[in-house]
Amino acid sequence: MEAETKLIGSVVIVGAGIGGMQAALDLADSGFMVHMVSRDSAVGGTMAMLDKTFPTGDCAMCMISPRMVEASRHPNIKIHTMAQVTGVSGVAGNFTLMISQKARYVDPIKCTGCGICEKKCPKKVPGEFDQGLSKRKAIFSLFPQAVPNTRVIDPDHCLYLTKGRCRACEKFCPSDAINFEDTPSEFELKAGAVILCPGLDTYDPTIQQELGYNRWPNVVTSLQFERILSASGPFRGEIKRPSDSKHPKKIAWIQCVGSRDPHNVNPWCSSVCCMYATKQAVIAREHDTEVVPTIFYNEKRTFGKDFDKYADRARDEYNVRYERAMISAVNEEAGSGDLFIKYVDGQGRMTNETFDLIVLSVGLQPRKDALEFAGIFDIDIDQFGFPITSRLSPIETTRPGIFVAGTYQGPKDIPETVVQGSAAAASAMAILDKRRGCEIEDVALPPEKETGNEKPRVGVVVCHCGINISQTVDVEKVAENAAKQPDVAHAETVMYACAPDGQNRIKELIREKGLNRVIVASCTPRTHEPLFQETIREAGLNKYLFDLADIREQCSWCHMGQNELATEKAIDIVNMSIAKTRLLQEVKSESVPVTPVAMVIGGGIAGMTAALSLAEQDFAVHLVEKEKRLGGLAAGIFHTLEGDSVRELIRRKNLQIDDHPAITVHVGVEVSKTEGYVGNFKSTLSDNTAIDHGVIVIASGGSEYTPDEYDYGKSEKILTQRQLERLLAANSLQADAIYAMIQCVGSREKPFNYCSRICCQDAIKNAIAIKNKTPEAQVTIFYRDLRTYGLREKYYTKARDLGVRFVRYEADSKPEVTHDGPNFSIKAYDPILENEIVLSTDYLILSTGLRPNAVNDKLGEMYKLTRNEDGYFLEAHVKLRPVDFPSEGIFLAGLAHGPKNLDETISQALAAAGRAGTVLSQSQLAVSGIIAKHDRDKCMSCLACFRACPFNSPYIDEDGRVSHNEIKCTGCGICAGICPAKAFQVNSFSDDQITAMIDSVTENCLPHSAEHRSTEKSDDTKCNCC
Amino acid sequence: MTQNATAADTAPAPEVEAENIKKTPDDWEARILAFACHYCAFAAADLAGVMRLSYSPNVKIIRLSCTGKLDHSYVLRAFERGIDGVFVAG
Repeated sequence: MEAETKLIGSVVIVGAGIGGMQAALDLADSGFMVHMVSRDSAVGGTMAMLDKTFPTGDCAMCMISPRMVEASRHPNIKIHTMAQVTGVSGVAGNFTLMISQKARYVDPIKCTGCGICEKKCPKKVPGEFDQGLSKRKAIFSLFPQAVPNTRVIDPDHCLYLTKGRCRACEKFCPSDAINFEDTPSEFELKAGAVILCPGLDTYDPTIQQELGYNRWPNVVTSLQFERILSASGPFRGEIKRPSDSKHPKKIAWIQCVGSRDPHNVNPWCSSVCCMYATKQAVIAREHDTEVVPTIFYNEKRTFGKDFDKYADRARDEYNVRYERAMISAVNEEAGSGDLFIKYVDGQGRMTNETFDLIVLSVGLQPRKDALEFAGIFDIDIDQFGFPITSRLSPIETTRPGIFVAGTYQGPKDIPETVVQGSAAAASAMAILDKRRGCEIEDVALPPEKETGNEKPRVGVVVCHCGINISQTVDVEKVAENAAKQPDVAHAETVMYACAPDGQNRIKELIREKGLNRVIVASCTPRTHEPLFQETIREAGLNKYLFDLADIREQCSWCHMGQNELATEKAIDIVNMSIAKTRLLQEVKSESVPVTPVAMVIGGGIAGMTAALSLAEQDFAVHLVEKEKRLGGLAAGIFHTLEGDSVRELIRRKNLQIDDHPAITVHVGVEVSKTEGYVGNFKSTLSDNTAIDHGVIVIASGGSEYTPDEYDYGKSEKILTQRQLERLLAANSLQADAIYAMIQCVGSREKPFNYCSRICCQDAIKNAIAIKNKTPEAQVTIFYRDLRTYGLREKYYTKARDLGVRFVRYEADSKPEVTHDGPNFSIKAYDPILENEIVLSTDYLILSTGLRPNAVNDKLGEMYKLTRNEDGYFLEAHVKLRPVDFPSEGIFLAGLAHGPKNLDETISQALAAAGRAGTVLSQSQLAVSGIIAKHDRDKCMSCLACFRACPFNSPYIDEDGRVSHNEIKCTGCGICAGICPAKAFQVNSFSDDQITAMIDSVTENCLPHSAEHRSTEKSDDTKCNCC
Repeated sequence: MTQNATAADTAPAPEVEAENIKKTPDDWEARILAFACHYCAFAAADLAGVMRLSYSPNVKIIRLSCTGKLDHSYVLRAFERGIDGVFVAG
């Protein structure tokens, strides 16, 4: 049948949140046509509603906005908003989807997004985006930065569409874009694969009347609080409570609302609430230092990379109080609007405490239409509505060719959603590799204007960034000052420079004011420069005629409350940028061919999965493993918590790798040398094999911690979980024995202050195995926080149902083990019994954590990759680039990145393969324009550069003189710094440009300047300081 | 590759007669010019902002593609034009 299927090189993605956008961009970048179908009027999903993200406190909108813009202007992505799939026919490789799209009543081609219609519309309704905390109009855009920014008319509330009168929007629209005759449409899309990422709903706590939501006005959900914190939210980022707009001081978060409650609501853990509550408490304190946050929790599940450290900081530096208590009721104090909570505190006392505001940390749950939705795509779902996927292929549904990603697959946070987006893209690429590039259109950019001989005309755009900048820096004053600087043709402020209207404004200014250089004063060039460079390129300017002045990260955010000084500094920063920009020159960038071959370092599950995915995408792969066989750490595991056979998985992957002609396996060797750059690496293995390749996937894995705690090694009855699993599988344990397990051995305390993420699952898995085999056996687990996050929670419940006992301990009162001959006893303080307990046990099982692989240091040195303080590799961005490295062409997967479960490793490996595929699928890669230029006429061939360059770009040519290989050059400029003849100049960092910046910033430092004199308080008016 | 060159590192000032030494005003703050590597120190400065860590607004940063790009002339020029300290981080 496969032979008959005509493959379609397009993919339909249902849902346009961060996961959907990631999948769309990866597929579009590697030559596939993508249709995004979103039922909302704009893309962005849940992440667009968030204020900041944990654990870095990055602004969510600032991260997602460039992605939204990128997706909306990608030539290979078509966005269908307000649309739903109503039917799917066909098979993997060739699907036909029926799409039904609602009427928008506004013509997106005519609409400029000016928003006059919205201002004039008389009808106000509660806004969905602000979770009902503010009003929107009947003609509206979902949020200020919405993409697309075409307004939409809500037919349920529009006065004309409901009552036949008004038409104010139509009257005032300057571009005649309102179309009341608009009708819903139905159309068909053809696609080779479908990716489902519609996301989840948040739990509606109204039904739990005892918590007071929708009853007491000062009880809000966490998503509402997220909007309250947001600069573009209902209160413009000021923390107010809904009843009386007072600034709340005592704020309480109640955890697990709608989660972990099998009797009343949902049995699963929503995975993200512990961290988002911690984040909200921290941000609330940052907004208002008088806020006193309390988090009422059951189990602190801060299990992700660097999460425990973040929660510790919240507790120690932000005074966030964590109170382990179950809250059964919230009541309002008559008259004041304050709320009181009755709970049993840590000392067992019944306490009544009053709060100004209460935030319910609501969990995630499948959307109400989950059943119908699954029916349309003909995929199987579980009893709750989650799609059924195997733990070992977590993104494949029961229908081939239809993949899932993000929270729809199960509760998870942003980076895991992004990972699955890339993983789903990789899986779609594997089906459709033969049709890559067949259905896309070529990008048409306007020709570049020659500006070489023109006098500089600089345009300066100063960004408010909502209030991120403007609450500290007087942006109008910055713009006014900029306008006075030499060669500045125009300066103005915009609300969000990175939003589509901001970018359009920049393009408009280039045309209207005849600009030939542009400065945006907003955030860091590290994230936003490429976006703006593209914008000015679209307006016909060379993209290197741009500079980004960082007045947010390096000014407004670090000088909060010092408005005057911050404004002065912002003016100085912009002046420096102007001084440089006037001297910027056009740069013509080269492109280089790509070797369509991948090298994967590490032959564990991550490496094997990545290698297979890349091979299925039609690229040759070299898989390098230092041990004698493939399998890695997983080779020591028998089953997953969910019961899938890991042995079988490894066996199957081994067979697939053996059978695949595109994969070459190198075992028992290591990489001894790599040189080159993205698209063109050359590596030499320790057996002297030379490999040319275009990308590197680092999947070097982790290692098991060997404990020295609790007398490990002194008795054969003290085991690790892994050893126990082996003995259980071999049936070689005494059947009705007493087992005691201790969690967090070597984890979550200094010097290894991180959660190893797998140990709780391991303990529960083995405990269930013991109880299933011998119900009389006794199992007691001593734990700090049981972290069976997400859908794993049901196994925790199962273990409890089977009679496994759980005893909590605190880090400062660990269980003590004494053993006398063959008998052990464990002494521990039980905080619930408030008493010491002593347990005699036959076996002591230590739940030992993970450590980074010892080779990480060496690999890190070799490829110049940074590691976090625990020794795990640091990704390019913890939220949005979770499998990329800052160095182009190098990707990351598995335990090398941080502790994680097997299904997460598999998703990440597929994601790394997908990201690598976006590079390997290009025939040519554009080389960065930021490189050193060598002037042979000035060069004296003194060889200073030749010795200093770490990349060996300068070489001795056939004339015996120094020449420069620009392809190898990374633009670091060491040559330029060292060259006595100044024969090297780095594009956009040339000596004249840097000197101009120094002169600008030191302008007022010069002796005898007016400002300097005024600081001299001596009786003599003449300054003699120098 | 971290280099530090601040005003404090320069050679001790020649001895000056006591009456010629002016008292530094209490509110005086040094103006510092930092040269930061795009990949690390500039990223660290961004991180300081993201973490809302506060420092004196008298610190201004010039981004370099790498601190290896630093030319001694930059440092000399800054001092010559009256800056109080230069901080090179990368």
